[in-house]
Parts: sequence; C-alpha cells; structure tokens
Amino acid sequence: MARVLVGVKRVIDYAVKIRVKPDKSGVVTDGVKHSMNPFDEIAVEEAVRMKEKKLASEVIAVSCGPTQAQETLRTALAMGADRAIHVEVAGPEYETLQPLHVAKILAKLSQDEKADIVIVGKQAIDDDSNQTAQMTAAILDWPQGTFASKVEKSDSGLTVTREIDGGLEVIKTKLPAVISADLRLNEPRYATLPNIMKAKKKPMKKVSAKDLGVDLAPRIKILSVEDPPVRQAGSIVPDVDTLVAKLKEGGHV
Amino acid sequence: MQNFKALFLQHTSLTRNHLTPEILLRLVTPSCPLWRSKDSPFEDPFWAFYWPGGQATARYILDNPLIIKDRRVLDVGSGCGATAIAAALRGTKRVLANDIDPVAVMAIKMNAELNNVEVQTDTNNYIGTNCEEFDTILIGDMFYDEDFGNMLFTWLRELASKDKMILVGDPGRHGLTKKRLSQMTLLAQYKMSAENCEENNGFTHTSLWRINK
Ligand SMILES: Cc1cc2nc3c(=O)[nH]c(=O)nc-3n(C[C@H](O)[C@H](O)[C@H](O)COP(=O)(O)OP(=O)(O)OC[C@H]3O[C@@H](n4cnc5c(N)ncnc54)[C@H](O)[C@@H]3O)c2cc1C
Ligand SMILES: C[S@@+](CC[C@H](N)C(=O)[O-])C[C@H]1O[C@@H](n2cnc3c(N)ncnc32)[C@H](O)[C@@H]1O
Repeated sequence: MARVLVGVKRVIDYAVKIRVKPDKSGVVTDGVKHSMNPFDEIAVEEAVRMKEKKLASEVIAVSCGPTQAQETLRTALAMGADRAIHVEVAGPEYETLQPLHVAKILAKLSQDEKADIVIVGKQAIDDDSNQTAQMTAAILDWPQGTFASKVEKSDSGLTVTREIDGGLEVIKTKLPAVISADLRLNEPRYATLPNIMKAKKKPMKKVSAKDLGVDLAPRIKILSVEDPPVRQAGSIVPDVDTLVAKLKEGGHV
Repeated sequence: MQNFKALFLQHTSLTRNHLTPEILLRLVTPSCPLWRSKDSPFEDPFWAFYWPGGQATARYILDNPLIIKDRRVLDVGSGCGATAIAAALRGTKRVLANDIDPVAVMAIKMNAELNNVEVQTDTNNYIGTNCEEFDTILIGDMFYDEDFGNMLFTWLRELASKDKMILVGDPGRHGLTKKRLSQMTLLAQYKMSAENCEENNGFTHTSLWRINK
C-alpha cells in the first residue's frame, strides 16, 4: 500500500479582501484571517479517501512556514491525515519562500519518508504560481498528473483524469508519482469536533530547511505588487434600444 | 453540576447508534450542532463521544459476561462511561468508572442513570499505581497519543505480570505499535458502523485484546 505525502499551505483566507502594502512589496498579512489553501484541502481529502479505500497506508501532511503553519497541519490531521511534518521557515526567509524551495523540501521529504504518492494543490490562491507539483516531479524524476479531477488506481500505477483547456485528458502514470489537485477532484469534508480533538494528539515533527539540506536563497525577486485596476462605474440604461445604441457608439458591436 | 446538566442536555442527544445498542447514551452526535462547531463550551469533551475502542470493550463484555463474573473492574479513562455501564449491566462484584476529567464523571453518572445501573466514579490518576483493589482493568481507545501510550503500556504490562486481567479495545491507533501488539492476544474484532468509519478515516474495524502476562 502506498504512503502519501500531502503539501498544505497556509494562505490568506479566500473570503478576505486583499490589501496591497503601501510600499508595493507585497500584500498585508498581519491580523488577516488565514486558512488552508482550498486546493490543498482537496489534496488532503483525496489522500484520506485513498486511505479509506485501502489504497494508502498512511497520509503525511507537510507545511513549510512559520509557527502558524502548525494550525494548518492540525486542520489536515483533523481531516484524517495520520501525522504531520512542520518545516519551519520564518521571518525574511518565509517572505521569499518560492515554489522551487517548497519543491526541493517536498522532494527530500518524499525520499526520507519513502512516499509513493505526493499530492499538492494545483496552485496556492495567494501567489498563484502553479509550479510546486511540476518542480517536485522534476526534482524526483517521477511522473506527474497535474490538474487532476479524478485519480484511480490501475494495475501498474494511477489513472489520472486531467482538466485541460480542450476538456479532459486521461493519462496513466506509474508509481511513485506526483499529483496536483484541481477544483473538481472532490469535495473536502469538514473537520468534526471528535476529529479536531484527535488531531491535537497526532504526531507532529518539526524540522528546518537546513536539516533537509535545502538552500532557501531566493531565485526570484518581486519588483512590485499592484492592486488590480479599479473597475469603472457602470450606468443603468432604460431599455434595450439605448443599450444597443451605446454599444454601437462605443464600437463594441 | 446544575449548570453542567443544562449544557449537557442542550448539546447532546440520545443515541443507540453504536456497537452496543442495548446501552442508551447521551452523546454529541452528527445531528448536534456541536459536531460541526469549532466553539465548544466544553474543553476537549472526550466524554461526548463513544470511541471505537470503548465500543469494542463493551461489546465483548456484553457478549462474554463470564469473563468479568465476580471481578473487581476498573475502567480507566471511561469517557462517556459506556464500558463501565456494560460491566454493571452484566453484573460483577464491583465496577469503578475512572476518568481524570471531572466533567466526564458527571457525564458517566448521567449515562449510568439512563441505563438504571449504578457505577462508582472517581477522578484519580491510577497510571503507575498497583491497583490493589482491582483484578480487571478495562482500557477503551487510549492509544491515540504517543507519549501517553508509552506510559500506559508500560504500566499495563506491569499489572498483567501481576496476574491482573487487562482488556484493551482499540481500532488500531498509532500508539499500538507492532511490538506492543505482539504482547497482546486478539480476542475479538468488530466491524464499525458506517457513521463510525466516516469519523475514523481508514479504520473499519475495532478490536479487543488481552495483554499477555
Ligand atoms: C478555491 C478557488 C478555486 C477557483 N477555481 C477557479 C477555476 O477553476 N477557474 C476559474 O476561472 N476561476 C477560479 N476561481 C476564481 C473564482 O471562481 C472567480 O473569482 C469567479 O469565477 C468569479 O466569479 P463571480 O461571479 O463570483 O465574481 P464577480 O467578481 O462577482 O464577477 C465577475 C464578473 O462578473 C461580472 N459581474 C459581476 N457582477 C455583475 C453585475 N451585477 N452585473 C453585470 N455583470 C456583473 C463582471 O464582469 C465581473 O468582473 C477560483 C477561486 C477559488 C477561491
Ligand atoms: C478517547 S477517550 C476514551 C473514552 C472511552 N474509554 C471510550 O472508549 O469511549 C480517553 C479518555 O481518557 C481520559 N484520560 C486521559 N488520561 C487519563 C488518566 N491518566 N487517567 C484516567 N483517565 C484519563 C480522558 O479524559 C478521556 O475521557
């Protein structure tokens, strides 16, 4: 049976209105509600379902970040992960933590923990990089099934249905493999009170990037973060004729 | 106590939906708002659930009453009290439901009353003690914590070597390592209810072991 490693990232909650810092170096995170990246909830759910179907023997959740990343790990444990690894990255190193670093960390842990499947979200809703799964697979030299909307066990490995521009693509991969979870893969469960209680007692190990031999020097420099352009005020038109006239006037039709 | 009773009645519901339907219990069930709530008025209410381990222990006692006949039984970490209630229902010399959480003891009393049995309760920490007053120790679902599991198992082995009967119910949590299981004898295995499986991600059965001498 497979051992599954799942990456979970703590991000600004999807319902929060994002504010850019005045110096344009990033967005305001202090005092802002954070949650598990929604795609990572889907990744955890998929891993736990594999365990429930007896395709997986153990689910290990990993989060790279400051102390608060442990809250995200507890959520993963309450959803059914068996144990957690907190890779502590804090301060300025956390500010410049990039997909390549996370991929190196996940790759190293996959080997140390003898994982057969790595599942991560297709992207984190804060940086929207969409790189971690691909880089992890490349570093490990494992096959990858990205943007998965369905994962099934097949004789030699996994059959993954991928969401692509033109529709759905079905691929087969051998194991070990890296999967990235798309929105329609499943609907994550709520953590219930008894599971939140159990999660507090599940094992959580803390390691540093240094312990794993991963260099966290930034490879990308953020030059500036800007607010999206403000939407211009609209106007209400009395009838369809006026709308058509306006659209013609503006050269839209 | 009065205050607790009101809160307890407000947040729990009556259920027989578990492996020992002959025992009626007040628990926080999926139909209670608290099941899905993050703000519980109770701190870590372990007594609000009937854990798979306790269910296995109680089921075994109800089906094999001879094993506890004329015994002096200590249910350590009794939680909602169901395992101790099972022993009381089948009749034995003495049953004590023990839990270090005083709130659990209140829940145990109310659940015992629902089943018209009397169980003694206390909040002592027996771990590490000789348990001279008892010859039978029941353990339901206590291997969910690594450090605690270490302490618990060392103590139970010690008691087993002194001829006490130690029954352990557990779905196979991480505290029951292979090495530990090799020092126990499997007496029974039960399939968990669908609802219980859903709550226990991956566990489908719960088992009853006896710790070897
Ligand atoms: C977990 C997660 C997963 C996501 N996955 C995807 C994904 O797979 N694919 C994807 O495309 N997006 C995805 N998103 C982004 C999200 O789905 C988009 O924010 C969403 O598509 C916006 O639609 P809306 O109608 O809710 O937003 P709104 O911002 O309310 O509306 C979007 C547009 O609708 C029009 N509109 C809104 N209100 C009015 C009005 N009153 N009158 C006329 N026109 C109006 C405007 O043109 C506006 O720009 C995801 C987001 C999250 C958090
Ligand atoms: C998971 S619950 C199991 C409850 C019950 N046996 C069952 O199976 O439903 C564990 C219980 O052990 C209690 N407990 C923890 N440490 C204890 C100790 N040292 N002595 C007695 N009880 C303890 C907790 O308060 C909790 O109620």
